Amino acid sequence: MRMTPTAIFIGALAILAAVVFVMVFWPYAQRDMTPSEIFRPRTLVEAEGRAIYIANGCVYCHSQSIRTFDWGHGAERIAQAGDYVSDEPILLGSQRTGVDLSQEGGEHPDDWHIAHFINPRYTRPNSIMPPFRWLGLEKINTLTRYIQALGLKQADQRMGRQTYWKKEAIQAYEAGPVYNVKWLAEHVPAGWRHIPNPYPTTAAGLMRGRRVYADFCIGCHGPIGDGMGDAQPWIYPPPLNFTILKDRQISGGILYYQIMNGITGTAMPYFKRELESQKIWEVGNYVAVYFINQSDANTAPHGIDSAWEP
Amino acid sequence: MASSANNDRPNHRTARAFCLTSAFWFAAAASFGMIGAGYLIAPDFMANIGWLHFGKARPMHVNLMLFGFVTPGLLAAAFYYVPKLLRTALYSEKLGVFTAILWNITLPIGVVGLAQGRSQGREYAEWPWSVDMLIVVLFALVIFNLVMTVRRRLEPIIYVSIWYVCAAVILTGTTYCIGNVIWKPSTGALLGIPDAILLWFYGHNVFGLLLTPLGLGVAYYVLPLATRSPLYSHTLSLIGFWSLIVVYTHIGTHHLLQVPVPTWLKTIAIVDSVAMVIPVMVFLINIWYTVQGKLGTIHADIGAKFVFTGTIYYFFVNIQGSMMALPQVQRVTHFNNWVVGHAHIGVLGFAGVVAIGGIYYVLPKITGRPLYSRFLADLQYWLLLIGVTGFAVVLTIVGLIQGNAWLNGETVYRVLPEIHLYYILRASLGVFIISGAYIGLYNIFRTLYFNPGAATACE
Ligand code: HEC
Ligand code: HEC
Ligand code: HEM
Ligand code: HEM
Repeated sequence: MRMTPTAIFIGALAILAAVVFVMVFWPYAQRDMTPSEIFRPRTLVEAEGRAIYIANGCVYCHSQSIRTFDWGHGAERIAQAGDYVSDEPILLGSQRTGVDLSQEGGEHPDDWHIAHFINPRYTRPNSIMPPFRWLGLEKINTLTRYIQALGLKQADQRMGRQTYWKKEAIQAYEAGPVYNVKWLAEHVPAGWRHIPNPYPTTAAGLMRGRRVYADFCIGCHGPIGDGMGDAQPWIYPPPLNFTILKDRQISGGILYYQIMNGITGTAMPYFKRELESQKIWEVGNYVAVYFINQSDANTAPHGIDSAWEP
Repeated sequence: MASSANNDRPNHRTARAFCLTSAFWFAAAASFGMIGAGYLIAPDFMANIGWLHFGKARPMHVNLMLFGFVTPGLLAAAFYYVPKLLRTALYSEKLGVFTAILWNITLPIGVVGLAQGRSQGREYAEWPWSVDMLIVVLFALVIFNLVMTVRRRLEPIIYVSIWYVCAAVILTGTTYCIGNVIWKPSTGALLGIPDAILLWFYGHNVFGLLLTPLGLGVAYYVLPLATRSPLYSHTLSLIGFWSLIVVYTHIGTHHLLQVPVPTWLKTIAIVDSVAMVIPVMVFLINIWYTVQGKLGTIHADIGAKFVFTGTIYYFFVNIQGSMMALPQVQRVTHFNNWVVGHAHIGVLGFAGVVAIGGIYYVLPKITGRPLYSRFLADLQYWLLLIGVTGFAVVLTIVGLIQGNAWLNGETVYRVLPEIHLYYILRASLGVFIISGAYIGLYNIFRTLYFNPGAATACE
């Protein structure tokens, strides 16, 4: 074959045209833009927040694309084409340096996000997300509106829950520490309330608990457990001051349940995804021993001793 | 030789301008890369510089590497070898220099746009609309200059390298317009899932229809000449060329295997990603057989040494790429640093290294003097080689840690402390690459200006 300029130009362009037709135009013509059952249009302020998201390249660290085999954030909802019908551009992302945000709305209340945007290390001590304090509170608020709408109708449902419990939690907090502690404990199912920490306190266990505390809790509850971590100014009701729990019948089971499940409406996140059972018992006991100064570890009722116990 | 068009010998001002453009933006883009790598280690460093945090430094880094370093570098060699192979002069050196100047105006506008947050938010298509338009103009100018040069040729036979350059600029000029949705200036995007399909059709064509053919063009020019060997096979060149265009254009959807796009699109993308073995191996067999037994000669010529090394990385990146397109593999590799490793092997190890090789090969012929410093060029070679190989190893390890941990149900947050060390290693290896970039800039600058070397016979 002799390669003439015509052969090169026309040949190459003809191939390209054919491929564009099949690989781009055809799927475009066949596109199904039926909204999925969770779809709703974004409000103006949410759209504004999305623009901030695009301008700041959040997409380089955050995907919005849940796969069939994901476990983490948002894994309850596998992405469908109909979830994206108002996205222009679509922000699927190609890196998950941070978590998937498809279903981020309502995962946390607003105050958690504000503190997190001011500096992610405040709520997540090991985070490598850049701080966005320089955006200013107004833009951070707008951005938070977008984040809280991620997940669309499912986000709205979760946000409804957050708003309801936020009101309750604030009321309880403002009624004073005695009431607040009682209120917090009352919402732990009865069975859990009466379970002491089944494992004995050991030096090694406390050291491990300390590490978990430093990696997950210190930004809110603070280095001495008084609730005065870096995030405190942004969070309301503020992070719990553990020292007020003394002599208030806070069992190991209550601590375990609260850490596992979080307290919806407050900034207290759930840790059931991040921490295995052992880590939850041990950070709970660390809090009990060092900050509450009162631990029920290894007291009755107590099942059969665990095989590893010294 | 070039007595054809006019009597005085060509001054190659266009090729010179593009060499310098490429060297400069390599250094600049590497600096942004270092900033990005710094953020992943210590996110609070430069905490209050809102226009340069990770989310902004990253697209600056990537786009400047693609459109500032690699593309102009590969074009620099082309602006020299296209007229030379056609036994004519470049249609217009003035137009060429103007193109280079406009190129260097366009990129800073783009960087400022990204700094201000005017990104369009689509990977590889971030430039704001005004910059998109300037890039389309740039491609039009390059196409015009090259096409007119081809028309004025005195050599009837058009060599393989020229097929590749012409196809690269024409096809990219076209896909750039489509992929950036330039008819919609406000968003530069389509709506919903079709946007993702279009974006990755375009995104993969940046590597497949721009960097790859330009790089192969340089390899087809430099390696046979440097070893004084005739090309192994014309038939293989033909097969390689046409199969590249046919197959490469089909595979963009392998970026979307885990996304709700039509299954038939994914199937085509996977099958053709594996079929990429054909154009890749055809090229490599052709070029490696051509230089068979001449590795000593290649070693002696710094330009050819870079280019040959680039072909080895070309082999690796494509084998790796075909693997990554398999759904089972992608379950582990997608969304993590494995892909970033692949990207650096491809864009730096293959396209970037070939671009530098092309520059070093043509510079002495352009200036009529030897390189300012062969030692510095060798040093740069080793710095880049260590850097990119280290990147490949480190980022692949991180990718496997992340991918397997996630697959087992670990959260992203829990894995962060595990990969911290590797981010430090990556930044340390980045120091090798950025040093190579600045050394190259100095060497190329001194070769063009204030070059003390004795003038040799000029071509
Ligand atoms: C360098 C990468 C990076 C960039 C850029 C980035 N993030 Fe993050 N982001 C992370 C990481 C890592 C985490 C996980 C740790 C944490 O929660 O801070 C995270 C977590 C988050 C979370 C909390 C998820 C949760 O519920 O635990 C939100 C919300 C978030 N990012 C939003 C954003 C927004 C909005 C932007 C852009 C303004 C952004 N991120 C930019 C890396 C990044
Ligand atoms: C983002 C901030 C934040 C982080 C991080 C955080 N907490 Fe909390 N925590 C809170 C807030 C806010 C409350 C509830 C305050 C209120 O309602 O008065 C709370 C409440 C609690 C309670 C409830 C006590 C009770 O009596 O019911 C426990 C236990 C607790 N946190 C432990 C932890 C542990 C352990 C960690 C780390 C694994 C942690 N928290 C991380 C903010 C946080
Ligand atoms: C046989 C050829 C190739 C195949 C089959 C291939 C395949 C792939 C696949 C499957 C991905 C997506 C990975 C993922 O997101 O999970 C990818 C990404 C990428 N490839 Fe290749 N590749 C090939 C050649 C190349 C070459 C030659 C280059 C560079 C010149 C290159 C540059 C890139 C880049 C930069 C990315 C990252 C895209 C992103 O931002 O997500 N590839 N490749
Ligand atoms: C100074 C040395 C370099 C450093 C420190 C560096 C650092 C980085 C960083 C931090 C990222 C973002 C990765 C992420 O999101 O996790 C990145 C992406 C990228 N870099 Fe570099 N880089 C360097 C050199 C280069 C060179 C020389 C090239 C090409 C010639 C290049 C091409 C790319 C590309 C194409 C991507 C996008 C990858 C993707 O989307 O998957 N880099 N680099």
